[in-house]
Amino acid sequence: MLRRAVEKSIRVYSVQLRQLSANAAVKEKWDLHAGVLVERHPILTKPLNEIETKFQAMQSQIEFENSLKSDFELRHEKDLILAEKIKKGQMEVDLDDTSAKQTAQDLKDAYVEELKKFQLAPRTTEADKKKDKQATNRDLEDILYLLVDQKLGDKSHMILPQGQWQTGETLRQTAERVLKEKCGENIEVMFYGNAPCGFFKYKYPAAQRKDSVGVKIFFFRSALKSGNVDKKIAKKFEWLDKNELGGKLKREYAESVQQFLI
Amino acid sequence: MALLTAFARLSCKEVPSVARSFFTGPKLCVQVTPALYAEPLKKKKKIDPAVIKQREERRRKKLEKQIRRLEKNARQLKPVDELEVPLELLDEKEKRTRPKAALSQEEIESRAILQKEWARYKLKQKSQELQVVDRLMQAQQKALEELRKESEELFQEAIQPDLQMIPLTTKGPVATPPIENYESPDGEYLDISKKWT
Repeated sequence: MLRRAVEKSIRVYSVQLRQLSANAAVKEKWDLHAGVLVERHPILTKPLNEIETKFQAMQSQIEFENSLKSDFELRHEKDLILAEKIKKGQMEVDLDDTSAKQTAQDLKDAYVEELKKFQLAPRTTEADKKKDKQATNRDLEDILYLLVDQKLGDKSHMILPQGQWQTGETLRQTAERVLKEKCGENIEVMFYGNAPCGFFKYKYPAAQRKDSVGVKIFFFRSALKSGNVDKKIAKKFEWLDKNELGGKLKREYAESVQQFLI
Repeated sequence: MALLTAFARLSCKEVPSVARSFFTGPKLCVQVTPALYAEPLKKKKKIDPAVIKQREERRRKKLEKQIRRLEKNARQLKPVDELEVPLELLDEKEKRTRPKAALSQEEIESRAILQKEWARYKLKQKSQELQVVDRLMQAQQKALEELRKESEELFQEAIQPDLQMIPLTTKGPVATPPIENYESPDGEYLDISKKWT
């Protein structure tokens, strides 16, 4: 009861605060920025976990029980019967014939042998071994996100590529331009729609506030199609998965970004 | 047909036969000739035999055309081989059936438990996915609201559908990584599909 009352009063208070800040916002001027979230989609499916493996085994067992015998199995059975007969001496062994004839078991062994020779590509790549975080072909099972080193004020930070909106552009166009500016022409992405997928705002330090109070960033989601960041344009950049990302970003920024990561 | 109705009318409407009388005033209701309630039949026109022949020809052609059209539609359809069970399999069904596996009580029990466990697992997975979708939508909603506060025009631009995305093709994650520079072994290609004309 008490808790509910407290919560209610907090809500009322926060509503008032919001109204206050909304009134203030009329006077405040914010810089609008577009940010780009570039995702490298997973290339490999994740291996099955324990319960999935168990369930799959059960399903295939049930399927086997309900299935009819294949030609190969029939042939194998026939071979077995024949071998039995020869053993008992009920049938004469025609040496020429049996030596020429391959049994089903022989065939099966040959197939297995052939499969063993076939090498699947490894699930970990060169980039994984080198821990090269600039490569896009690492960590094939996870989504990777692009972070680029950018200068904000005096310091530089590892953040999602972002840049200021210019009059006459839509935000989507800003996002496309920003990506080209920060990462070069080599990188080819597909944007997911015209609407921003996330939002973050921060204020400039008091000393640097001239026209505007701070920055409002609107993030646009996009998927990497091909290419990579141009190393001449972006000196420092990394492709990171969700867990690695959290450690790299500043706390508040990270919280906003986590909201729209899958 | 016209003739028949005329006769029918005649028969059902029996005209009372009035005795012939000398006076022909209306008061007496005298009728000299029986009322027929019909007009006499027209004389059949004589038609040129050439015209009849032509008409006959035309009717025949029309019928032929219809027959042809029917035949065309009733042409046999191309069979779908995959839908027909090969006779060989039907004959060998008995031979191919596996002996029914006798499952132990424990096995049945463990399978049932695994099924239930699987259902719970999938439910959990599904609800987690829904939560993620909710979170993403919320984040987008918030971004749009903030954008609207800043500029109505930019907001209107942002909610336009993106036609570049259609048609969309994506390549999903695969089970095994692709082998670089892999040349698949050449095999012989035999096209054994039947030709249907």
